[in-house]
Amino acid sequence: MLAMTGQGSFFGKVMSRGAQLAAKQIKENGGPEFVITIADHESGLVPPAVTGVRRLITQNKIKTLQTSYGAPSEAIIPLVQDNKVLTFNGGGSSPGQLSKDYLWMTRMLFAYDPTDGALTWLAKNQPNVKKLAVVGTNENGVEVWKEKAPRIWPQLSGGSIVATEIHDVGATDFAAVIARVKAAGADAVFTVSFGDDLGYMVKQFREANYEGPIVGIEFTDQAAKVAGATYDTYVFATDYFDVESKNPFTAQFVEAHIAEYGEPPEYYGSNYYEQVFVIWELMRRVIANGGDPQDSAQLQQALIDKPEFYSVYGGDEGTVGTMSFDLNDHSISKPMGVFGVKGGKPYLLAPIKKVSASDDPASALLG
Amino acid sequence: MFSFQLFSQLLVSGIVIGSSYALLSVSFGVIYATTRIFHFAHAIAYTVASYASVTALAKAGLPLWLALMVGLVVAVALGILIELAAYRPMRRRGASTLALFLTSLGLTIAGSNLIQIVFGPENKPLPGFPMKTFAVGAVTFTNLHLLTVIVSWVCIFGVVVFLKKTKYGKATRAAQSNQQMAMAVGIEMDGVSLLVFMLGSVLVGVSALLFTLGGVASPNMGLSPILIGFIGVFLGDRERFRRSARRLRARSGYLVVRSVAEW
Repeated sequence: MLAMTGQGSFFGKVMSRGAQLAAKQIKENGGPEFVITIADHESGLVPPAVTGVRRLITQNKIKTLQTSYGAPSEAIIPLVQDNKVLTFNGGGSSPGQLSKDYLWMTRMLFAYDPTDGALTWLAKNQPNVKKLAVVGTNENGVEVWKEKAPRIWPQLSGGSIVATEIHDVGATDFAAVIARVKAAGADAVFTVSFGDDLGYMVKQFREANYEGPIVGIEFTDQAAKVAGATYDTYVFATDYFDVESKNPFTAQFVEAHIAEYGEPPEYYGSNYYEQVFVIWELMRRVIANGGDPQDSAQLQQALIDKPEFYSVYGGDEGTVGTMSFDLNDHSISKPMGVFGVKGGKPYLLAPIKKVSASDDPASALLG
Repeated sequence: MFSFQLFSQLLVSGIVIGSSYALLSVSFGVIYATTRIFHFAHAIAYTVASYASVTALAKAGLPLWLALMVGLVVAVALGILIELAAYRPMRRRGASTLALFLTSLGLTIAGSNLIQIVFGPENKPLPGFPMKTFAVGAVTFTNLHLLTVIVSWVCIFGVVVFLKKTKYGKATRAAQSNQQMAMAVGIEMDGVSLLVFMLGSVLVGVSALLFTLGGVASPNMGLSPILIGFIGVFLGDRERFRRSARRLRARSGYLVVRSVAEW
C-alpha cells in the first residue's frame, strides 16, 4: 500500500520499483513468483488506505503486505491483524505502530530513533546553540516535537525549546514559520518534516538570511532539487542508505537497479527491496520446516524464531549487512548516522545509535 | 507579547503570498463570472505552464525568458483547448453547471495523472533565476518576492483596464452582467467565453511560473493554489466580482485576511 498518486507519488514510485526488482530477481534465480498488487493511499489518506487494503485482502487474497506512511499504516492495523496478513513498514514507521501483532518495521522509527543522535551532535558541535526551534507536522514525527525534543534538548545543551511550529504536509510556503522562529530568537532549527517540504523549508530559511544550523531527519534527492545549493547547509540524521556501499548485497542491488531503471536506487526503494527478500527468506524457512509458506501466522513465527536477516544497510566489501527485528516492539536495528550535504550529496559526519528513554541521550552519538 | 519585527515580517510575507493568491483568484474569477463554469481544471493549466517552461529550458535549451514565454503560450493553448473541446460542446447540449463542474474535476484528475505518466513524479526545477535577498531592518524578502508582488498587481490592474476600457472588455462585462441581454445586443457569447479562457489561462500561467522560479514543477502542484484561489473569489464575493471597479477592493480585502492568517 503505497503513495502512487498525490504529493508523495515519488515515494510510491521508488518503493514499488524496489519491491518489483526484488521479485524479478528472486524469480530469475529460481525462486517463487511474487505477484505484487499495489493499492494507493493517495499520499497518506486513511479512507483509500483502508478501502485499498480491504480490497487486497478480500479480492487479491494477499498473504503479506508492504505498507508506507504513518497514519494509513496505523489505520489498517485491525484489518491486517483480523485477517492475519504479515505486514512490513519501511516508510512512515511510528511509535503508534510498535508492538502490533503482524506489523513489523524495517526502518528505524521515523524521526524518533535518530533524534537523540541528531540533537547530541548539534549540542556537541555547536555549543553556542541553546535556543532551539522545532518544526514538524501532525502526520509523522509527532512524538518528537511533542515529547522527545523538549525532554532531551535541555539535558543535552542546558538550553530550551523557544518555538514549536507545525505546518501542513505538502507546504511550500514557510514564510510565517520562519518569521516566528526568527522572532523567537532561535539559535538553530530542528525539523522532523519530510518530503519536499524540507527542501522548501531549508531554501526559504536561507533566503530569509537565517544562518543558524538546520538539522533534520530525512534526505531525499527530490527535496535536494527543491532546495538547490542551500541544501549544502543542511544536516540530517537517519538510517541513510548509501549507494556507494561495498556490501555485496547492496552492490548487486544498485547495479541491478541501474540496469532496470537507468538510475541508482533511493533510500525508500531500498527498504521495500529488502522487505521482499525478508519475505522470501521466511517462506524458505517455513518450507524447510515442512510448513505452509502461504500461511502468514507461520511466516511470522519463523521471523520470531530467528529475527536476523540480510540487509542492504551496513556491511562492508566482504560482508553482507544484517538487520535484526526487536521481538518486543517489532522495531528494527540498522546503522544510523548524522550526515552533512555537499554538492547535493550526503556524507557521514558521525555514526549514531538508538537509545531507550531511560538511557542518557548523549550516548547515542558514537563518533 | 507584541513583536514589531514579527508583525512587519508577517505583513510583508502576507502581501507577497496574498498577491500571488489574488492573481490566482482573478484568473479563476474572470472565467467563473463570465461563463459560470467552476473551472477546476485551471489547476492543470497552472501545472502545464510550469512543465512546458521546464521542458523548454532543459530539453530545448531555450533561455529562461523564452522558456517562460513558452509556458504562457502552452497554458493559453490548453485553456482554449478545454473550452473548445470540452465545455463548449457540453454547453450546446444544455449541460448543467454541475455537469460542467464534474467535467472540469475529471479533467483535473486525468490531467495530473497524465502529467505524472509522461514526466514522472520527480520534481522538475526551473533554474536560472538570480535569487537575491534584501533586508530592511529585521524584515527580509527576495527579489522574486518583489517580482511576484509587482507582476501580480500589474496583471490585476491590466485586467481591470481591459475590462473597463476596451471593446472586448466591455463585452465581457456585459456578458458577466446578463448573458441574454448581451446576446440581444449582438455580443457573441462563444467568442467572449474563449476570450476569458485565454485571459484566465495566461494569468494562471504567470502565477505558476512565478512559483516555479522559486520552487519546482510537480504533477500535483496546481491543486493547492487553485483551491486557495477559489477562496479568494468567494471572499471577493462572486456577485461583486462581476463589477470590475470593485474588484481591487475585494482583492485588497483578501490581502488583509491573508496577512492576519499568517499572524
